Amino acid sequence: MLQFLLDVLIRTSDLLLVSVGLSTLYSLIRFPNIAHVQYAMLGAFLSLAGQRAGLPLALSAGVSCALVGCLAVLLNVFVFTRLLRSGSAVAMIGSLAVSLIAVALMLATAGSRPLQYTQDLRAPLTIGGVAVPDAQAYSIACGALTLLIFSVLLYRTNLGRSMRALASNRPLALASGIDASRVTNLITFASGVLAALGGTMLGLTESVHVNLGNNLLIPAFSAAILGGLGNPLGAAAGALLIALAETVVINVDFGSLVGRSMQFFPVAYVSAVSFLILLVALMVRPYGIFDREVRRV
Amino acid sequence: MTTLLDLDGIAIRYGGNTVLSGLTLSIDSGEIVGLLGPNGSGKSTVLNAITGFTPLASGAIRFGGRRIDPLAPHRIAQLGIRRTFQLPSMPTRMSVLELTMASSSAHHQLCAALLRGRATRRIEQDTHARARALLDQLKLAAVAHLPAASISGGQKKLLSIACAMMTEPKLLLLDEPTAGVHPNLRGELIGELRRIHGQGVTLVVIEHDMHFIRELCDRCVVLDRGAAIANCKPAELDKNRRVLDAYLGRSHRAPRPLEAS
Amino acid sequence: MSSFLVHLLTSVCLYAMMALGLNLQAGYAGMVNFGFVAFAGLGAYAAGIASQLGWPMPAALLLAVTAAAVLAVATARLGRQLSSDYWGIATLAIAEILRTVALNESWLTGGAQGIGGIRPLFAGLAAPWSDVAFLALAALCLVLVYGGYVRISSSRFGRALKVMREEPSLAVCFGYDPVSLKTRASVAAALPAALAGALLTYYISYVGPDVMVSSETFALWTIVMVGGLGSNLGVLLGALLVQSVYSFAPFLKDWLGVSSDLAGSARLGLVGLMLLACLVWRPRGLLPERLETLS
Repeated sequence: MLQFLLDVLIRTSDLLLVSVGLSTLYSLIRFPNIAHVQYAMLGAFLSLAGQRAGLPLALSAGVSCALVGCLAVLLNVFVFTRLLRSGSAVAMIGSLAVSLIAVALMLATAGSRPLQYTQDLRAPLTIGGVAVPDAQAYSIACGALTLLIFSVLLYRTNLGRSMRALASNRPLALASGIDASRVTNLITFASGVLAALGGTMLGLTESVHVNLGNNLLIPAFSAAILGGLGNPLGAAAGALLIALAETVVINVDFGSLVGRSMQFFPVAYVSAVSFLILLVALMVRPYGIFDREVRRV
Repeated sequence: MTTLLDLDGIAIRYGGNTVLSGLTLSIDSGEIVGLLGPNGSGKSTVLNAITGFTPLASGAIRFGGRRIDPLAPHRIAQLGIRRTFQLPSMPTRMSVLELTMASSSAHHQLCAALLRGRATRRIEQDTHARARALLDQLKLAAVAHLPAASISGGQKKLLSIACAMMTEPKLLLLDEPTAGVHPNLRGELIGELRRIHGQGVTLVVIEHDMHFIRELCDRCVVLDRGAAIANCKPAELDKNRRVLDAYLGRSHRAPRPLEAS
Repeated sequence: MSSFLVHLLTSVCLYAMMALGLNLQAGYAGMVNFGFVAFAGLGAYAAGIASQLGWPMPAALLLAVTAAAVLAVATARLGRQLSSDYWGIATLAIAEILRTVALNESWLTGGAQGIGGIRPLFAGLAAPWSDVAFLALAALCLVLVYGGYVRISSSRFGRALKVMREEPSLAVCFGYDPVSLKTRASVAAALPAALAGALLTYYISYVGPDVMVSSETFALWTIVMVGGLGSNLGVLLGALLVQSVYSFAPFLKDWLGVSSDLAGSARLGLVGLMLLACLVWRPRGLLPERLETLS
């Protein structure tokens, strides 16, 4: 049971940071940015490069996050804002193009083999009879802490207030003197940092490879949409739901249903699970299960 | 005089707000009815309800005796109800003529498009001719080949009417047809609408321009905060106390010095 | 050299057919489909499976277009519930799931190995004439599809789509049923894609999961956007440009002596760059859609 809980928590923290960033950003930029998942991939690779260059992992991760955050802002200012002038569909297609270029670049520089961070080989912690490797513990702790900090940022600071104002009523917010591009760029930076951190953690618990971003695409978007795009805490809840569903589906023995002694859900179709949950949820509640999505007027 | 449209105790709520409450209204075939009221009184909502864009919280709407409120908006349009919008938004990648031709929705099968038999070609020619004729009548012939979104606001209003007339509707709902139209053209617009009416179309017009209402409408219905407060001829409106209260506020009843009533 | 040209032109014809379909669905019906490759993939697999079962080619093609039509109807009806951004992501997910099915269900699709050894169409002819004959067939199909699409755009159906893509409320007021329009447009878009996919299977005598990889959809989007969304002629130009780039990229491997990873990524990166450059500097494409002239 504890192992099950651990699996759910790990999967949640895998998805959490990326989907929270995605959801927050959507409320400001008003188009689903497919390239966002590649920030996670780039973050993972940059952390690896930093570590290979001799930096301790924590510092390397910090630098990587900052760099990816800057990249996110640059892309937003020079590419996506421009594309948005032609409509959100064009911006979405553009984000696909950026995503493709990012993968191509990493494929060219780092190759297609999965890579690993060098970690100290320590005996894993044991909690309640369950082995918890260091990497997983860090990942969960990191995810929880970052979510806390981000929530404080969003609900207790001026920046957060400005962001929520812009998200719910843009013209009014602009008229009251909020500097939209400053707020958007700051939040873009924060989302990029979150994504890069999420990617680094994922690289820690699994491996660093070029498809890291692509594999996150469907689950992270599902989590963000489930929670209602523009509702960051909802995205966190969505991530938990998706993680729960995936873990349940993989671990449950369906043997009794199909009349065989052991029948498990094929692992390859796990992403189909998150997608199906999303579809069903959207049929029932088109604006996310909490019905608090920022509606586009 | 047969009843064409019948609104029976309709109520509409947005969130917690009651926009229309228990509105009952009957429109006979061949009438021209004006719909008036201060801003926020629910006039556009009535049009949205009739055309199926807004669901009813309660009540029923009947058209030619048949209940239409549960139908999808495109089905209601196919039954012969057409409307124009207060702020017409036109496509940018279609010309005025193409849009007018498009507003006749019959016979748009895919197979017909591909095979293009003789019948299809004849229908195309007929549509083309009818669209041209309507554009000529509404003085839009000069802009027929321009993108529909690029013409002026007043021209867009006229284009909306042309599009609505392509299918010979039974009921035409107009949402502020003179707003944004040059005052000099208003007389022409009244003439156009009278001519359309002469062809057997029943009109319901939302308007603020009292001169327009007086010239055109047989009868007026005044709404205030979601309910009908008057249903009379245009000439009787300025004697109706409730109408004056609604538009001017109760302070208009304060005694006025130096006034012979 | 000439066999290279024949190969290039054949792939131009096949990709142009697929891209014309995407152009109809996204450009005319306004349905931004990021999983469009699924139609071509279904067509390709249907042809492969049917051929393996010994079916004659016309039957295989019929299966291909039927399968794609079913998917088209299903995804179009899904659009009724979802807003267009979400629908785009949903189509991406559906295509990915179908690819996963192709990869895993070896009993049906041959798994990662795919289905090989499919009997080529013009086996009786000696090379290079078999290739030329195939090119003629592909070109003929392209001409038919293109002609059909031009007819659609100047027809009442095409006009209905054009109103619906920009002003859906107006379309409804005119009496059009958006779901019905979108469904029919999706089917009309899926058919040429499935046909092209099926022909591709016969051309290379093989079908595998890579036919449905998402970068193929990106290639189609690049073709459509470079040419001009909504412009049929633009699609032809776009197909020529993109396929030329695609075909020359493998030569980089030989000329620069780089690894196959790098060559693969060069292809991907070039297509991505083309798309991005086009979107930033020429969002309406090289041959933008023009207003329909009606005399």
